Formats: sequence, structure tokens, C-alpha cells
Amino acid sequence: MAAALIGAAVLVVVLADPSSDATRPSPAPAEDVADLPASPEPAFTVAKPVELTVSRAVSHWATVLEDTPVRERPDAAAAVIMRLSTRTPEDTTNIVLILERQEGEDGRLWVHVRLPILPNDRTGWVPRSALGVYGALATHLVVDVNQFTATLFRGGRRIFRAPVGVGQRQWPTPTGKFYIRNKLVSYQSPFYGPLAFGTSARSSVLTDWPAGGFVGIHGTSEPQLLPGRISHGCVRMRNEDILRLGRLMPVGTPLTIQ
Amino acid sequence: MTSSGKGPEMKHGEELTLETLDQDGAIRETLDAMPSDSRRDFLRKSAGIGLLGVLAVPSAAEAATPKGDVAILNYALTLEYLQAAFYTETQRVGAVRGRLARVPTQVGAVERAHVSAIRKVLGSKSVKRPSFNFQGVTEDANKFLKTAVAFEDLAVAAYKSQAARIKSPAVLAAAIAIHSVEARHAAWMRYLVGINPAANAFDEGKPINEVQRIVKSTRFIVSSPRKTAKGKPRFTG
Repeated sequence: MAAALIGAAVLVVVLADPSSDATRPSPAPAEDVADLPASPEPAFTVAKPVELTVSRAVSHWATVLEDTPVRERPDAAAAVIMRLSTRTPEDTTNIVLILERQEGEDGRLWVHVRLPILPNDRTGWVPRSALGVYGALATHLVVDVNQFTATLFRGGRRIFRAPVGVGQRQWPTPTGKFYIRNKLVSYQSPFYGPLAFGTSARSSVLTDWPAGGFVGIHGTSEPQLLPGRISHGCVRMRNEDILRLGRLMPVGTPLTIQ
Repeated sequence: MTSSGKGPEMKHGEELTLETLDQDGAIRETLDAMPSDSRRDFLRKSAGIGLLGVLAVPSAAEAATPKGDVAILNYALTLEYLQAAFYTETQRVGAVRGRLARVPTQVGAVERAHVSAIRKVLGSKSVKRPSFNFQGVTEDANKFLKTAVAFEDLAVAAYKSQAARIKSPAVLAAAIAIHSVEARHAAWMRYLVGINPAANAFDEGKPINEVQRIVKSTRFIVSSPRKTAKGKPRFTG
């Protein structure tokens, strides 16, 4: 006990005496936070977040994940309009334009989509589970069959306009609301020019045309005929214009032919 | 449209796991005890599930980042892609309304900023953005919120487990700066759902193989659609 008291007394003296060696700072500077090296600068910083403004000009498309019946209403018992397949005749992934969503009476989510069938402008319902990737786009192509123009808008702003050729009177370019289904490149066909877009629009006259009579938007080997009613229903434009459109217009873009 | 201004009804303290998102029973284990960290090479593993693109010639700035750190940043980038796409799609779809509507807008902006920053530092070494099929969770407020909790918890655990592996102090400083933001998001989402935002006194990380397994089991990452072909057109002409 006595030894402990003596020891405690010595400790008190040492702590109280500023000249004591025991009270001097440790020689190891790392033990003193003030002597630590400066923190490293981050390798990168993150810019101020920019919130997305959802515009009415934005449309949505979806891939078809599995072959599925399209129904008149969001109900598994509703009449079947057609069957959607996962591939297009051009062997690209089949996509549909989304119009709205609704929970069906069966509790499942159903999606109202625009269809690539005759008569044009048809729509129907598919279960969400039959669709895959969603895409969002702010572009919209408008083809005017009387003014012979194709105009591309992005976010409501015009970013492209070109003169076009459209269907002759006996093979009219169908009017209505459609969408761009795919893009074909690197083929050898001067008649179609260097690039062609496939659309969901179909000729109501050339129904026996190979692959179903789908209307395309493509280049031409006869630019001198533009603009005018010159085609079998497709929208033709100069090769330099279709190449520029190819850089500006993504697949899935809504198409209005008026 | 499915919509709700309320969060999912959950009992206070109820543990939320990725099993709430289970698709066909694919997700069996989620927020359970973490195993020890994996030493497997992330580049090799990720390439196996198609998340990584071909690495191109690096710029001077990219070359300054140690190889292992590049792999970790690409790992982080993949998770940031996933989160950014999830919140952005939710906002665009517009099915989350009421008091929750601000969540995808605000958090989505942050996740997109993370993507931009990491892509900038990685340059040509950045992995390509995958395609996503969120299978309806962006179109239902309850599913959205549960997925958000799971994603944020997963991101926090993923960043944490890599911190000790980062060689460059500068990269570590940046990663930590993002990690704490993800932790704030996680706490926010948990609060909205009604579960304890900070239930533990000590958070553990989640190793790469575990994170990859969970992400893969959601089947949210899918192959990109083929929108361009080379065949001769057969349009009406």
C-alpha cells in the first residue's frame, strides 16, 4: 500500500512539473495530429447534379422480350389483335412505341403500345412482362406528304429538314402515327441509297410486297426526281440528307406522316 | 398507371432485403452477414457477365491511375450506371407521385453526376453502359422504393469493401466522397420505407463476387437490343 502511494505521488509530481522529461512531446511526429501530412486532393470531383426535366416531347419505346398476344384491353381474357414477335423482318430486335400503362384487373401491369400492323394506327395492350428494355427519346419525325418535306424535331426544336419523295397516287404513303423500327446500313443497293430506316407504317395497297409492305425512309439513286410523288409508298430523300438523318434520329423515334 | 404518394407499408424495424425484389425466387441471400472479401480479379469476372468493354489506349490522365484502381472505378461505374438508369427511368415513367416524386428526380441527378465524374477520370477505359430491363419496378411506387433501398445499401457496401484495396490516395479520397453520399441516400430511402436508417454501429462491406451475384440475380442488366442490321432493305421503295 505504501509503495503504491509513493508511486502515485511521484506520478503527480512528474505530471505537474513542466520541466520533467516525461512531459515532453513524443519524438514521433505522427502521433501529433497537427504534424500529420495534408490530406490528398481527390483524384476527381463530382459536378453539381443537374435534375432532369421531363418534357412532353419525350416518348418511350420498349423491346419485345417474348412472343406475345396483343389484346384489345388490359385483360388476359380480351380479344387478341395480333401476336408480337421478338424480331422484325430485318432481323433486328422488335420494338413498340409505348402510349400508356395501366394495372389490369388481374393485378398485372399492362402497357398500351402502337402496333406495326394494318390498318395503320392500330394500338393494343401487352403485359409488361412481355417487354424488356425501355428507351426514352426526345426526337420526333414529321413527314408532310403534301409539302414533300421531312422534319426532325428534338425537344420540340427543329433540327433537320429535307425535301422528300413520297408514294404515287396509286401507292400512297400511309398517313398516321408510327415509329422508327430499325436502321439498315452497309447493304449494296443504290436504289435505297446508303441508309434506310424501317418504320411501323405499312402500305395498304402493296400488301403482298416482300416482308409485308413496310414503308421505309431511305436514300435514292434518282435525286433529280425529288421532291414529288415518285415512290411505291416509301419516303425517299437525297443520300446526303438520309446520312445526316441517320446521325440525328435514333431508332424508336415517333413518326407522324400527315 | 400505378401510382402512390405513400411508401410501402412496413413495420418499423422490419429488415428490408433484396428478396423483396425477388424475381422467380432468384435472390436468396441479401443483407445477411458478409463473407470475407474476395480476391478474384474483377476485370476477369465482369468480362464473364458482359459488363466490360474492350480497354483502349489510355490518355495521360488515365494512365496515372493504377491498374487495380481502374478496375475498382469501373466496378463502381457499373453500379452507378445501374442506379442512374433506375432513377432516371422512374422519373421519366412518372408512376411515382406525391411526396415521393422528388426522390427519383433528386437522387437520379446525383447518380448521373457520379457516372459523369467516373467516366471522365477513366476516359477510354470506361466500361460501356449496359442495357437495363427493370421489369416494372420503375412503374410502381412501392416496388420502386424497395428497390431503391436495396440499391443504395448495395452501393454503400460495395464501395466500402473496395476502400482498403484502392492504391491511390487521391482515388480513395474521391471514392470516399461518393461513398458517403450513397450512405446518405441509403439512410433517406430507409427512412421513407419506415425502417431504421442506421440500425448497426458497424457497417461491413460486401465483396465483389457477392455484389455481382446479387446484381445478376435481379436480371436488370440485359443484352442491348439490336437496332441496326446490314441486310438489303425490302421496304416498298
